[in-house]
Amino acid sequence: MNHLSPTLLRIQNLEVCYGPVQVLWGVSLSVNQGQVACLIGSNGAGKTTTLNAVAGMLKAKAGKIFLKEEELTAQPPRERVKRRITLVPEGRQLWPKMSVEENLLMGAFSPGFRKNADANLARVYEMFPRLKERRTQLAGTLSGGEQQMCAIGRGLMPDPELLMLDEPTLGLAPKAVDEIFEFVRNIRSQGVTVLLVAQNVNYALEFSEYAYLIETGKITLEGPSAVLLSNQYVQEAYLGSA
Amino acid sequence: MTLVDFTSLMVSALLLAGIYAVMSVGMTVIYGVMKIVNLAHAGFMMLGAYLALELFERFQIDPILAAFLTFPVMFLLGGAVHWVLVRRLPHADEPTLPSLLLMFGLWLVLQNLGYLIWGNTDRSIFTPRTLSVVNVGPIAISTLRLVVFIAALVCLGLLEAWLHYTWFGRSVRALIQNRYAALITGVHEDRTAGIAFGLGIGFAGLAGGLLGSLYSFDPDFGRAFLIRAFVIIVLGGLDSISGVAIGALVLALVETFSIIFVPAGYQLAISFALLALVLIVLPGGIASLLAKARRLA
Ligand SMILES: Nc1ncnc2c1ncn2[C@@H]1O[C@H](COP(=O)(O)OP(=O)(O)OP(=O)(O)O)[C@@H](O)[C@H]1O
Ligand SMILES: [Mg+2]
Repeated sequence: MNHLSPTLLRIQNLEVCYGPVQVLWGVSLSVNQGQVACLIGSNGAGKTTTLNAVAGMLKAKAGKIFLKEEELTAQPPRERVKRRITLVPEGRQLWPKMSVEENLLMGAFSPGFRKNADANLARVYEMFPRLKERRTQLAGTLSGGEQQMCAIGRGLMPDPELLMLDEPTLGLAPKAVDEIFEFVRNIRSQGVTVLLVAQNVNYALEFSEYAYLIETGKITLEGPSAVLLSNQYVQEAYLGSA
Repeated sequence: MTLVDFTSLMVSALLLAGIYAVMSVGMTVIYGVMKIVNLAHAGFMMLGAYLALELFERFQIDPILAAFLTFPVMFLLGGAVHWVLVRRLPHADEPTLPSLLLMFGLWLVLQNLGYLIWGNTDRSIFTPRTLSVVNVGPIAISTLRLVVFIAALVCLGLLEAWLHYTWFGRSVRALIQNRYAALITGVHEDRTAGIAFGLGIGFAGLAGGLLGSLYSFDPDFGRAFLIRAFVIIVLGGLDSISGVAIGALVLALVETFSIIFVPAGYQLAISFALLALVLIVLPGGIASLLAKARRLA
């Protein structure tokens, strides 16, 4: 684990079940302040489950989740939002029949965020001019890339301390993928800590400083991203090179 | 049919549609947020009618104003019912048997409470306005119905504005459209659902109060209107206010113009027939028809 800057998020031996089926078997990971960390793994490994557990959408059967020194394990999602943990979920999860602007504003729903909503809305529009052009359009009618921008914008509305991105480039054309990663770089340069889940392992490792590999609900490998990028096992199993 | 007859039937239908919309919108809000079909809606409408009657008889409050005053009372009652009972139902994405049974049971309780307090005689609210008419050219319009219509429009307008322009209203729509997304942005589901339930019951009470000044009622009041609300909701779709307005208009037109062909006593049968017809021919409601038309265009 790397100890250069203070730890923002710490997950300790997290176990999560869907009904009788256990999916996470003691996941431990931490993300340092200001860092981009990524969580990689194949389909069904438990990446989305991990992020949903951090967001409070899934109960932990065992294990603990900390933000700085505060334990959040038993807190409902709204309490975690209040502490500026936001999730840009897999599949975007926008409100299709609400306008782009309403979708963004809902990101600042928590009462403490409302007074800064206008300033943050302006900031999001500056970052994504295309959303500004389409502010009155219904979110359901946006293109895939625009929907992703809208979902990221919504996640930025509370001035997040930790932004979790779940497969932000899934199903996008190569050009849009480049664009989204450019945004991630931009967000990071504003001092936001990012936990990234990406199917595109190559990209994810290039854009992050620290990486965790999850396999069937356990972290099996971790280290600085550059190290994982040159790791033989990762190369063979996830980067498709011999 | 003369043009005057036709126009006056159109006007009646429109006036009727307003009150039908208020009557159905409460069920729509509750269904949208909680996916609960509020079978007790009729019971709350009945309570609203009696409450308006009591306010009118005891305090000489104008019945229309009284109907508005029932809103906050019924809102609080709804919030309490949610907190004590409805909150305990497990969350579901579609109506469940326990939720239907709970609401049906609640209706029976309310109804019997009504018999206990007010007995089973027919009551009505009668004021000088009840029989007065305004003449617009050759058409005579019941003043009362006109006032009720305007009151209905005001209520629907306020609800729509609240849903669109307030933080809380937006969160209600967010919960209706995508519950998961609402939760990860910090919406407090129990509190929002409680308020939505209160609103739904408030609207039931208001509709009951308004209908109570148009028709006579007893503790079984609301049964016939519950079926109409089903028709409207099935026609208009279960989750939008504009859908409710369209559904209400269609039902009101059908009922009003059917008077030409069938005796007035059969109006409820028309609602039933329309319900069956819509479920068979157009299960997605009018919205699906519009979508189809758009695809063909
Ligand atoms: N709602 C659910 N009910 C039951 N099992 C589930 C549910 N959601 C996920 N699972 C199971 O949990 C495991 C982990 O799923 P998860 O969505 O966390 O994987 P993932 O790493 O995000 O995969 P992907 O790359 O496909 O998104 C899978 O085996 C999946 O089948
Ligand atoms: Mg996933």
